Amino acid sequence: MVCYNFYIFNRQGTCLCYHEWQRPKSVKQGAGTPSDDQKMMFGLFFSLKTFAAAMDPRTENKAQLGGPLRIGGACTFHSYATNNYKLHFLESPSGIKIILNTSPEIGDLRDHLSTIYGSIYVEYVLKNPVYMPGKPFRCQYFIGALTKYLQDCRLT
Amino acid sequence: METINSEIFTLMYGSIVRQLITDLEDITEVNKQLDTMGYNIGVRLIDEFLAKSRTAACTDFRDSTEKVAKVGFRMFLNTTANVTNWNPEGTECSLVLEDNPLTDFVELPEGCSKLKYCNVLCGVIRGALEMVNVQVECDFAKDTLRGDELNEIRLKLISEGTEAYPFKDDD
Amino acid sequence: MERPRRTCAETCLELLSLQIVHYYAGQNQAPLAASTEAIGFRVGRQLAERCTWDRPRLVDQLDVMKFICKEFWIELFQKQVDNLRTNHRGTFVLKDANFRWLSKLSSDLPAPEKADATEQNAGPVANDSMPSRPAANEAAQDYLHLPCAIIRGALTHLGLPCTVSADASALPACDFTINIRAG
Repeated sequence: MVCYNFYIFNRQGTCLCYHEWQRPKSVKQGAGTPSDDQKMMFGLFFSLKTFAAAMDPRTENKAQLGGPLRIGGACTFHSYATNNYKLHFLESPSGIKIILNTSPEIGDLRDHLSTIYGSIYVEYVLKNPVYMPGKPFRCQYFIGALTKYLQDCRLT
Repeated sequence: METINSEIFTLMYGSIVRQLITDLEDITEVNKQLDTMGYNIGVRLIDEFLAKSRTAACTDFRDSTEKVAKVGFRMFLNTTANVTNWNPEGTECSLVLEDNPLTDFVELPEGCSKLKYCNVLCGVIRGALEMVNVQVECDFAKDTLRGDELNEIRLKLISEGTEAYPFKDDD
Repeated sequence: MERPRRTCAETCLELLSLQIVHYYAGQNQAPLAASTEAIGFRVGRQLAERCTWDRPRLVDQLDVMKFICKEFWIELFQKQVDNLRTNHRGTFVLKDANFRWLSKLSSDLPAPEKADATEQNAGPVANDSMPSRPAANEAAQDYLHLPCAIIRGALTHLGLPCTVSADASALPACDFTINIRAG
């Protein structure tokens, strides 16, 4: 079981935080720059979210494809897996988006992402006096606590 | 949730208000700063509220205000508020606080009749709701410290937003 | 008799203290140090009064210090001071191995490699910024006026006028040095 990398975005599309534990294929070989990598990631889950909601066969007044969505609206995706990796996704009603990429065999991590949001992001980022809301951060306590949590859950 | 003796919070808040009055020498400006401070607190507080209350998403303005009143006030200040006085359009309402820990052992000094002592609460509500895309105006309408029979915060819905893709295509 | 104890979330106090420092750091009318010290000093006096009104007067200097290190510290910071030293000439050093109010201060901000999107999409938040600082202990200084003044206020109320300074060079540990004024 492997955790590859991790992103937090806010609803303005700013990548607040990026961290990687392992990334066999470097950013240079992929999107090119970290900035492009983050923008592609944002576009990826945003499109997936929009499509997933538009194709929802269950909700009656569903969103038009490309139309505006309510943040944290009722229909969203939680993860997708490929033969190589699995992407786990959590979005809060405040528009905070957390992405964790792991190896594909890992199960449902929704509760884990909720814990990362509620107990690690809230405590170590929002209560860090020098953190400025809306701005990207590098916070060693946060990354430390995140890594320890994933280790304790035997995810890495 | 970690808790503390609320006296410490009440004393700290009282001391801050007093310092702002000394430094700003203008009650209107003090009211404004308390609101701004509250706004900045609300912006940070919202995620803790959402995470700890496990709130998925509020369905509408009515639902949002109920959650602020019943869950938010309970979670952070250990008190609750009642939502009343809705206008017919459902865009304005009042939060009535029967018990306000911010004003424990507080008496307004003379010359401060215009002071909205608890204006920080208005800012917190405004900031927190803005983060879930609900824009409100918020005003401390009635205040027991100024002789009213109850504490009333008046909320006015400006807009309820949705989320659009934040980048231009080809950006 | 146990006083009825009303509680609130610690978050309220944390975020309020943080905002007051940000406010005074971001304006020019009143200096940050003087204003936050005045705020803390009043809080310390009043809190010490509320903690001690129903108990016998603390006479001995060391008893007062022990009260500060135990009851008062627990009330404010949910733990005791880990180590108390004195030179027996009015100087005390209180060592807190994990000082709660700065336990989340991590100053390795902002991100070194900014995404292009950050500047124009920084969000609607205003007036909540501190100038970026190189090291945590330097950033910590702005946040230490408040706890130092609370301790000074409490000791003053208990009959020991003093100066209090703090050393946060080894966060999350923090040392508070108290010099009791002679006389």
